[in-house]
Amino acid sequence: MVREELNKRSPLRIFENSIHGGLGNGNLGVIASRHGIGKTACLVHMATDKLFRDEHVIHISFSQNVNHVIAWYEDIFKEITSKRELADAMQVHDEITKNRVIMNFNQENVSVEQIVRSLKTMIVDGGFKADAIFFDGYQMTTVDPAEVSKIKAFANEMDLEIWFSVSPVLEDVDFDQYGIPSTLAPIVDTVDVLIGLRYQGEEVVMTVVKDHGNTNPTRLALKLDPKTMLISEEN
Amino acid sequence: MAELANMRNIGISAHIDSGKTTLTERILYYCNRIHSIHEVRGKDGVGATMDSMELEKERGITIASAATNVTWKGNDINIIDTPGHVDFTIEVERSLRVLDGAVLVLCSVGGVQSQSITVDRQMKRYNVPRVAFINKCDRTGANPYKVTDQLIKKLGHNAVMMQIPIGLEDRFEGVVDLITMQAVYFDGPQGDDVRFGEIPAELEQKAAERREIMLDALSLFSDDLMEAMLEEAVTEEMIHEAVRLGTLSLDLTPVYIGSAYKNKGIQSLLNAVIKYLPNPTEVRNVALDLDNEEAEVEVISDDSMKTVSLAFKLEDGQYGQLTYIRVYQGRIKKGDELYNTRSRKKFKVGRLIKMHADHMEDITEAGSGDIAALFGVECASGDTFCHPDLNYSMTSMFVPNPVITLAIDPVDKKSADNMAKALNRFTKEDPTFRTYVDPESNQTIVQGMGELHLEVYIERMKREYKAEVITGQPQVAYRETISKAAEFNYTHKKQTGGSGQYGRVAGLIEPCEEQNYEFVNKIKGGSIPNEYIPSCDKGFQSAMVKGTLIGFPIVNVRAIINDGQYHAVDSSDQAFQTASLGAFRDAYPRAKPIILEPIMKVNVEGPTEFQGNIFASINQRRGIIISSAEDGAFCTVEAEVPLSEMFGYSTVLRSLTQGKAEYTMEVEKYGKVPQSVSEELKKEYEERRRKESGKK
Repeated sequence: MVREELNKRSPLRIFENSIHGGLGNGNLGVIASRHGIGKTACLVHMATDKLFRDEHVIHISFSQNVNHVIAWYEDIFKEITSKRELADAMQVHDEITKNRVIMNFNQENVSVEQIVRSLKTMIVDGGFKADAIFFDGYQMTTVDPAEVSKIKAFANEMDLEIWFSVSPVLEDVDFDQYGIPSTLAPIVDTVDVLIGLRYQGEEVVMTVVKDHGNTNPTRLALKLDPKTMLISEEN
Repeated sequence: MAELANMRNIGISAHIDSGKTTLTERILYYCNRIHSIHEVRGKDGVGATMDSMELEKERGITIASAATNVTWKGNDINIIDTPGHVDFTIEVERSLRVLDGAVLVLCSVGGVQSQSITVDRQMKRYNVPRVAFINKCDRTGANPYKVTDQLIKKLGHNAVMMQIPIGLEDRFEGVVDLITMQAVYFDGPQGDDVRFGEIPAELEQKAAERREIMLDALSLFSDDLMEAMLEEAVTEEMIHEAVRLGTLSLDLTPVYIGSAYKNKGIQSLLNAVIKYLPNPTEVRNVALDLDNEEAEVEVISDDSMKTVSLAFKLEDGQYGQLTYIRVYQGRIKKGDELYNTRSRKKFKVGRLIKMHADHMEDITEAGSGDIAALFGVECASGDTFCHPDLNYSMTSMFVPNPVITLAIDPVDKKSADNMAKALNRFTKEDPTFRTYVDPESNQTIVQGMGELHLEVYIERMKREYKAEVITGQPQVAYRETISKAAEFNYTHKKQTGGSGQYGRVAGLIEPCEEQNYEFVNKIKGGSIPNEYIPSCDKGFQSAMVKGTLIGFPIVNVRAIINDGQYHAVDSSDQAFQTASLGAFRDAYPRAKPIILEPIMKVNVEGPTEFQGNIFASINQRRGIIISSAEDGAFCTVEAEVPLSEMFGYSTVLRSLTQGKAEYTMEVEKYGKVPQSVSEELKKEYEERRRKESGKK
């Protein structure tokens, strides 16, 4: 299969169609669930899909070690390309890796201002014209909602979209039927798209809980494949 | 000779300014190899900033020797020097090959820095068990807990503190040993008197908590310990055994703390080296059997077996060439005959010595696992010396190709003679440093792994050999390759009286990622006779020496021949060589040739305030930022940058960051040169050729 075909047949097209063509620049999207369901894989798949379409992405992690983030990208790339039997996979790999930067912060001693400043530095001084930013494991449930608004203002200013993966920091948190933790409530108004992940039997199902103005939850015709951790179409 | 169980071959590896020199000196002192400690103060009066060369001069001792032998509580420790900079990759890797364990020194303020990351990665590659020592606990801002955390998170070690500090910064007094649960103080002006005492009351709870963490981590390595923990019957021996098992399997890094400058914690570290790092019999070493397609053969630390030893470092001393060796199997005795498997020459062992900090000792034999030095042996660094019955090599014959070249011209006749001597020596010491005379320009060219690599040798030429040279601009070692397959059907025919030349070859050239060159013979029915097949192979290889795009070697090509024709009288070896060379040159332009350049993995580290400058400096150099990590006020940026753009980067980086950032780089891969640069290079090559042909 060639790259154009792979992009056309990506399950992420279904995802985008379900949220009015995509998140859109200046907007914030959140993927929320309990711990250990596969949010990072989901986020990396979304980022990789953008890379396949020649977009530039910045992945932000808070784990101190970038190697395991890179390993996630390598795994997801391998899964996608072997599933779709992509031609010239190694060449494509080299081409798209150029368009990805991983930035790592220690959330305990870095402020939102600092993160935003570093992102701007990367985009302006580093000449890296990002189309989307992915915050992996940002502790959104405990931050002041004003901080999230600052990130939104940044997305607006830089004209790009920002996705977050979010799990609750505290234990004993209630989850609604779509997998959204109750502690996320204070920032729901600020985000534009909210996706919940939850187990249904052996499968992880995805629900669009908020889609821009629309707040009627809609179950997506997508799931997380438990073997490959890829976003896949439901059978 | 020491019992093997009582022998340790260790390296001390550290980031610049973590206090490696001071620590090494203190180790020598406590092991009674030097008789007193001189205060070594830097200009700021704060710490040990003198380098080992100055120290050596002043003190008349050898700290930077390739291997120094000391004794601690009846155990023989060989301390092997590990060069700090990654530009000298082969030297670093060779010293890592020789040591069985290492002390990873970290600064309690600076923590895990870029160089520690690089050296640690190399140690992992060579399976070297490590004990960490967090030094400089007397410094302002010291925080061994944070550094332990960084060992876990940044380097991925299962780092476990075996001690906690009693006070920190200027109130650093000693440590609490979490195994014996005692306070340990290092009394006397030079810390010689180790005094044990009660744990200070304010630290009791913390010590208990940390011991709990330590035991939990260790219990994974010993069922006995786990059971004993449940029954609250843990003994010191059980803990030592668990630490040892964890360390040897590289699943655990015990962490010690102290201050070499303030003479604190060194004795505990030495105890840990003996207790937890492996003796030579506990490390599996393999040699490659050169008589059996480099098949791996385990070498055994047993004196009664046939000798296998590795020459890992050459030094030019006042008495001639000193060759440091490690004996892996058997023993070496004065008068023995040994076989150098690279040069295929036999030699007799003459003077055999052991290097101590303050003197060298003549010895009559060195046993398995030991490190010694030979005088007057003609060899190169990395050579293997075996019993004449064996043909083993301890190191793979693979040596990475140099990526940078530099033209050098001696200023006068005397310098020219000295330069020749120096080059002869350096190429023996370091296989990644090469030299040749360019037949076109008649200039001496040196090649190496990076700008700094060559700079150091130029400096050594001046300092050690009094050879003044003028250097040209460093040149990148580009490569050419093909990007698609192209067929050929080429006839070489020449009839100029006497017997003529005739050969026709047909086939194709195609990209071959796995190796630099592969020759495939698919001739059926003898259209080219067997005797001329090697001639075709030779012809293709000679075509690849110099590409037609910019005159650099061609790599990653598979040449396949599948048809041809010969003439009973006019065909010859030479005719088929010429035909294949012609065939290659004919097909090459159709195979879409491209230019490749060395791409370096660059790691820049500096204060976050200069992050913008660092990003911009990489961006301006056609670099790709792979990642950037920020922790507090520090950031680390990892990028891939073409080598051609990295010339002079250290100066640029210094001025961009007020000297507060540093970088390391190593060769990552060869990558395609962008179109615009490629056009530029082709133009330069054409001009050069025009000028040269004009001269002729």
